[in-house]
Amino acid sequence: MIELKEIGVRFSGRDVLKDISVVFKPGEIIGLVAPNGTGKSTLMNVMMNYVSPQTGQVIFNNGLGYTSKKNEVKIHQLISMMPDQSDLYNYLSGREHLKIYSSMWNSNKQLIDQTIAALDMGSYINKKTGTYSLGMRQRLCFAMQIVSDTQMMLMDEVMNGLDPTQVEIISRILEKKKSEGKTIIVASHLLENLEKYADRIFFFKNGELELVSDLSPGFEQKELTTIRIEELPDAVSKLLCKEFPELDIQTLPNQVTLINVQGATSQQLTRVVAYLQEHSVTEFNLGKVSLLDLYSMYYQKA
Amino acid sequence: MQSYFKFEFLHFFFNKKNIAVYVILLFFSCYYAMVVAPSYDPIEKVDKLEMEARYLTREDFLNSVNTERMHPSTAYAVMTYPEWNEYEKGRLDALEEHDFKKYAEATSKWYTYSDGMIYKGGDFLFYHPRYYTYGNNYAREDGHFAYLSAASRYEGYAEGDYALSIDVFEERTALQTWQRLLQSYLPFILIVSCILLSADIVLKDRRNPTLLRGFPMSPWRRLLVKGGVALFGSILAFIPLAAGLLIIGARNGFGSLDLPVPIYSHVDKSFSLISLSEFMLQNMALIILWFVLIISLLLLTSILIRNEFANLFIGFAVVIGEFTYYTRGIGFIREVQWYPTSYIQVGQVISGYRNYVYESNALTLGNGATVLSACVCIILLTVFIISNLPKFKQL
Repeated sequence: MIELKEIGVRFSGRDVLKDISVVFKPGEIIGLVAPNGTGKSTLMNVMMNYVSPQTGQVIFNNGLGYTSKKNEVKIHQLISMMPDQSDLYNYLSGREHLKIYSSMWNSNKQLIDQTIAALDMGSYINKKTGTYSLGMRQRLCFAMQIVSDTQMMLMDEVMNGLDPTQVEIISRILEKKKSEGKTIIVASHLLENLEKYADRIFFFKNGELELVSDLSPGFEQKELTTIRIEELPDAVSKLLCKEFPELDIQTLPNQVTLINVQGATSQQLTRVVAYLQEHSVTEFNLGKVSLLDLYSMYYQKA
Repeated sequence: MQSYFKFEFLHFFFNKKNIAVYVILLFFSCYYAMVVAPSYDPIEKVDKLEMEARYLTREDFLNSVNTERMHPSTAYAVMTYPEWNEYEKGRLDALEEHDFKKYAEATSKWYTYSDGMIYKGGDFLFYHPRYYTYGNNYAREDGHFAYLSAASRYEGYAEGDYALSIDVFEERTALQTWQRLLQSYLPFILIVSCILLSADIVLKDRRNPTLLRGFPMSPWRRLLVKGGVALFGSILAFIPLAAGLLIIGARNGFGSLDLPVPIYSHVDKSFSLISLSEFMLQNMALIILWFVLIISLLLLTSILIRNEFANLFIGFAVVIGEFTYYTRGIGFIREVQWYPTSYIQVGQVISGYRNYVYESNALTLGNGATVLSACVCIILLTVFIISNLPKFKQL
């Protein structure tokens, strides 16, 4: 469990984190979504005590906080942050990196081979990391954190540079770790992917965390809330607004039009669908608003 | 802690700069053994021609001098030359007979007698001319020290049971070369190597911050481990230097660890003898203490200033610190024994030569160990306090 209590961080007169209070529970995958430079990494750095907040505190299991170096060591036994691939030692092999992490956290040595197999790294793990591609390095960094086997894991841009197959593999491993009761906090720009496995997703703006389900009620439930139309002509959009004034219709900066049909009757739904077909709009989805749409709504407002 | 030591150890020996330091030491060692050591030309060497020339000149004088109405100087020569020549003759005969023990005995007496004549005899007798170099205002004192030291050393050779040879007399064997170097620039080389090996031991982590800073280990323990690795790496600097020792040993013999080394006591102005092994151990102890001090200091500057050049600057400042206050005889009026930098020339401290030139009797191994240990304790305590501050970030 990680509890953030009124965390405030200010850099050069700007509030990077503003009174953030939130609890992350065991067996939970948390998604952090925001454009670059909005404070995701700072939040993770605060959780690791790499950055000291001006206000507030981070509290771990049994009330453990960063009050002394002794406590910091205890906390770092519980929490780890995925290393950056640019920080790997080019003259060491991938396996040596894994051994270092395994021995530093005194984790089960078998995890090394299991992780290598799970991430399909066997063909290159004994080569020096200086010869690795970006994707290979990224996988190694992920593997290093997995072999550390800490109770809480922070991953900043874990899917960077990975092909879709690897993204899937890593997603599956994250779900497995979640089932083991680990708290995993992932900052990612792969929104569709994040949407699949994250239990709670937070948007970050102006130093504050906003739970996505608060922005879009029903987001986390699998219910029909929205008709989603890509590139709806302006004229049709205007007509639609006139025809259905009771519905919330909005066109996002990514040219996606969302018609909120939450609570609408089946007759209303049929009328809307029929109206769209009359105006030759045949490509639309009926479902819930996607994370991508919410992102666009939240961050790309004019 | 053990895994972190292994981790740091691995990186220490993969570090290109550290590899370069070891390679340079190896090169220096081989160059010294093959080029510098063979051309070593000691002032107090076994020079049969010189002995013969001296002996024959004095003998000729004694045979031809008119002892009536002599000038005081002539009378002095007539009085002193017979005994002097007796020892000289003893040396020449021993060399002729290849009886090195007898040579050592005669030579010891010769040096004692010569020093007694020259040092107390006024300004008309001189030590070996090579002491009287341009700008050396202390040639007489240097000669006095060298003669008494040689007398003591040869006395040791004569009294002990050693495999004596010309190389042993001229201190050319491998172990004696090592001993001579400890009394000249070897401690500087070792301490400078320690500085170069340790300057980045903390700050190198800035190149891989995300990989390292989350390790579940306190900064203090990390710094201790880093210090331990740097110390171990610095001690290993002896290995490339030992290559030169092997080369010299193959050419001139290795000598014996039992050979006597003269140690000067400023209290009774005389020399006593210790074995070469004891001399080496005392030197190693003080050098390792210096390593610990330098590494502790660099750990402190690494967390305070966080700049490798600052580390180098401060390290080298310590090495050359003694030159800022050293003046011959200054120990008589200033308590230089409390300055850690006074102990930088380790071999000269152990041999008592620093006491001789400082005119102090306090520059001893014991005082050196006390002063350096006190500095280490103060520095490490400061590092401990800083690294345990809750706001302290190593990276």
